[in-house]
Amino acid sequence: MFYFLKRIVSKHTIILVVCFAASMWFVYHNHSFYERSIAKVIETKVEDSTETMDRYNNEDRLFTQGIIAEIKNGPQKGQTIHLTNQYSSSGAYDHEYKVGTELFVSIEKAGKITGKILDVKRDKYLLLVTWMFIFTLLIVGKRQGLFSIISLAVNALLLSYALDVYLHTSGISLLWICSISVIVFTVISLLLVNGFNEKTYAAIVATLLGTCISLLITYSVMWVTSEQGLRYEEMQFIARPYKMVFMAGLFIGSLGAVMDVAITMSSSLFELFEKNKNISVKALKTSGMEIGKDIMGTMTNVLFFAYVSGSIPMIILYLKNASPVGFTLSMNLSLELARALAGGIGIVLTIPIGLYVTLFFLYRMRAKA
Amino acid sequence: MNVLVWLGIILFILMRLIGGKKGTRSFLAIFLNFGVVLISILFLTTPKVNPIIFIVVACIVISCINLFYINEVNSKTITAFISTLVTIVILLLFIVIVAKKTMIQGFGEEEVEELSIFSLYIGVDFVKIAAAVMIMAAIGAITDTAIAISSPMSEIFLHHPTISRKELFTSGIRIGRDILGTSANTMFFAFFGGYLGLLLWFQVFSYSFGEIVNSKIFNAEMISILCAGIGISLVIPITSWVTAFILVKE
Repeated sequence: MFYFLKRIVSKHTIILVVCFAASMWFVYHNHSFYERSIAKVIETKVEDSTETMDRYNNEDRLFTQGIIAEIKNGPQKGQTIHLTNQYSSSGAYDHEYKVGTELFVSIEKAGKITGKILDVKRDKYLLLVTWMFIFTLLIVGKRQGLFSIISLAVNALLLSYALDVYLHTSGISLLWICSISVIVFTVISLLLVNGFNEKTYAAIVATLLGTCISLLITYSVMWVTSEQGLRYEEMQFIARPYKMVFMAGLFIGSLGAVMDVAITMSSSLFELFEKNKNISVKALKTSGMEIGKDIMGTMTNVLFFAYVSGSIPMIILYLKNASPVGFTLSMNLSLELARALAGGIGIVLTIPIGLYVTLFFLYRMRAKA
Repeated sequence: MNVLVWLGIILFILMRLIGGKKGTRSFLAIFLNFGVVLISILFLTTPKVNPIIFIVVACIVISCINLFYINEVNSKTITAFISTLVTIVILLLFIVIVAKKTMIQGFGEEEVEELSIFSLYIGVDFVKIAAAVMIMAAIGAITDTAIAISSPMSEIFLHHPTISRKELFTSGIRIGRDILGTSANTMFFAFFGGYLGLLLWFQVFSYSFGEIVNSKIFNAEMISILCAGIGISLVIPITSWVTAFILVKE
């Protein structure tokens, strides 16, 4: 029996390692699949460096780098290309390239092959970090780790499919698409995390109610205040009605946290009930509220940091360009803070909602039994 | 009145109603953390401060707020605090290497057009700032997971004082596995929500798959999510081990 188990485990490990090796090999040799030309840096030389000072007295150092690289795909494969690269020591929008870095380039041919650097080939690093993520989750989490990887992948695919549908169907609102996706996300993630049982059903209902109500509250606040204080100007990558994108992002962003609260409430209440079938409603309510109090502080902080940290580089750029502090913060943080606060409202509301929904499910079960 | 003020007031009332005194503390903790973030930003703008060292200090303060202020100083929060710090240091070593290698610092080509009014040569080290940002994105989730493991482990130890160190460690891992999925989900969705605009952008301008997986912004986002995921899983064995080591004297 033990031997048998061991064999299954090692079989899975072998499959995983083979997948890892094959995909890494592929990503290091996939140059011919790209239409853009790729060149691998084989020699670099700093040709020039100058001190600079901008109009706000920020000191920096600019370098000019001469690069010789080998073309890895296309008709000129195998030939060398001469490139020049300008970079600064701060590196806000430039990079110092080292030997071995692969770059996307545009090739201009006039005697000696020269060209312009377009971008860095990052796919191999992304794949490597993805594999490290997968291995860590599997080693620590085993089965649960596998399920959260699946849940992440499925949800990511679903989201991109939903966006695809949104863009190719005229006259459909992003909010509607998101509402449907949110239901699907909730059902899939909670079933994957917790399996088919009453606990999961209670959590699904609580999550949907919690997200809905918090969204309604946020929406009415925005309506009452006519969105005063929200600075959409600095919302990045606006290709669509920004307000819709913001609301939809808020909707999806708080979903994970709300699910977390809902499942914590329902599984701990079910656990208490299983341990003592005759436990009174009052005792269950008190314990549920205690559990809720314990999680609400840390949960709201999870969202807060996940949202706010992303705008730090932009805020630094603003401040270093002598923008006033108040202006900088309201420009860069108003949407993130609104998201974090709305998410917090969702989390806190889900505590009583989760409590009562779970009690309802428990009593239905007790009545049946 | 301002949307943020309204949302803040509503959140405060709800936290106070549901959480009582602890709710008030939880609400104030958000503000304290906000203060820490602002001070961090001010320090990060001075070129002389190494962002990595500074972010470790900021993380210590944030974990103190999240663990000792919201809860109180006891064996559960102390073990969670130590575990958070160990995890942060390990994760930071990994993230610094990743940030350097992948060149995801600063701004992408999609953003840089609207930044043309700004001077980009501002003398701060954006690679280290990128690493600092990634660790800060995960700090909330890491403290959350740490306390979620150390707290029930302490309860187990309280009910079974004769438990061996190894048994306690194993039950810690088991608890951790149960919350891994939901903690990871919390982070995933928070990131998805924040980057919905970016995902739409890729679709509207019909980026090819090759362009997306190599673009700076997409990489920055994905690597943040993945590093946060790695951090959440790392904190599970670390907390289990630290708690078992501190509680059980052999």
